[in-house]
Amino acid sequence: MNPLIPSTLNPGDLLQRLNRDVERSVLRARNGIRYVRGTHRPPLGATPKDVVWKSGKAELWRYKGGDRRYSPPVVIVHSLVSRSYILDLRPGNSLVEYMTNAGLDVFMLDWGVPDELDADNDLERYVDWYLPRALAAARRVSGHDEVTLAGYCLGGVLAALYAAGREDAHVRNLILMATPMDYTEMGAMVALIREGRLNPDEMLDETGNVAADAMYSGFYMLAPTTEVAQKATLLENLWNDEFLEGFQAMATWSRDHVPFPGAAFRQLVELLVRQNILMTGSIPLGDRQVELVNAQGNVLNAMAERDNVVPPPAVEPVMTLVGDPARREELRLPGGHVTFGTGRSALKHTMPKLTGWIIDHSDTS
Amino acid sequence: MPANQPLWLRVVLKVERTVGEPIEAAVHSDAYFDLVSTTTRVRRKVGGAAEGVSRRCLHLLNLPAGSDIRRLRQQLARMERRLNELSHEVAELDESEPRSGVR
Repeated sequence: MNPLIPSTLNPGDLLQRLNRDVERSVLRARNGIRYVRGTHRPPLGATPKDVVWKSGKAELWRYKGGDRRYSPPVVIVHSLVSRSYILDLRPGNSLVEYMTNAGLDVFMLDWGVPDELDADNDLERYVDWYLPRALAAARRVSGHDEVTLAGYCLGGVLAALYAAGREDAHVRNLILMATPMDYTEMGAMVALIREGRLNPDEMLDETGNVAADAMYSGFYMLAPTTEVAQKATLLENLWNDEFLEGFQAMATWSRDHVPFPGAAFRQLVELLVRQNILMTGSIPLGDRQVELVNAQGNVLNAMAERDNVVPPPAVEPVMTLVGDPARREELRLPGGHVTFGTGRSALKHTMPKLTGWIIDHSDTS
Repeated sequence: MPANQPLWLRVVLKVERTVGEPIEAAVHSDAYFDLVSTTTRVRRKVGGAAEGVSRRCLHLLNLPAGSDIRRLRQQLARMERRLNELSHEVAELDESEPRSGVR
């Protein structure tokens, strides 16, 4: 055999490779047409569920699925800035589905899409009005006195304030996923609303809320050219139905933001960003002062190491601020901000670790 | 970067990072955020001035302007919200659910 002729020139291999390339080209063409036409979009948030409580736009969903072997129930509090289906993106790649299949009783508190009616919603409204009622419904439906409360992103702030600010919280476990505490570490995400730049009222639209487009622009400007790399990677993998499905699901979610209620946005800017008040461990809420150290339950501070929306330095102070120091644990996960809900890294690391921690801190029903 | 990626893709990804990094640095700079703040303020002022003129013209003809409709919608929203709150309070009184519990 001539050592100068590479083994890849073996006619059998060449034919096989040619066949594969032709097949892939055909599939690329088919999937390309589907992508451009916008057909064959994957189902999003598809885990079967029942609406067990509703007030205004807010809904509490209880997921159906395997036998519920563990208690208390897990109630996920979603963020105010994005759609909750990121945590149930598509079958086979969903935190909610994973937890449900593991035997947990999973609920999701979804805030819906705010409009004029919600412009006056402030933090007090979420912490002292919606959360107590939604959690009372979760307790009633599940038949358990306590809950495992899991907040994602700003939902984590709401969950922490609830667990710290109410004697009747009955929180067994408090899981904070990518929950910002130190807003000086939030970088470009909050740069536009720092002291001396835009005032909150200058960002509100005619409905009294921050428009969904403005929220999208904020996220888009974190990495404005990444879309080029994503589209190129899509082109290379367009033959792969699963890749295309995942890409479409993520692309849909990343453009699908919701308006931010005006009153809560004013508090976010004045208290959380400009005063960085959570770092004092204490925040005024209604007519009282909430001390974060009073948060009930075992606290799990989960963060993603490559999160560019809520970077780890913004999340780390949870470990010194929230809950009983003897009951705090930290979980560092590979991946970015969405690793809590979807992606290969989520399937391999996030979902098993989060679910395992909850099961370890639950009872067998 | 995975080794099995074709050359063209590796080139695109490399170019994207080469171009993208300085762009990201620029749009994350203080100068950029100051510029966006100023632009937003100017746009709102110009929009507000134009709206004022059109409102006066429409009012001269005894017609409602967009801002009138907007105010009306906001008032309606407040009223609807108050109604919802009252309905909830009545429902909760009926169910006799505990409503306090704040620390």
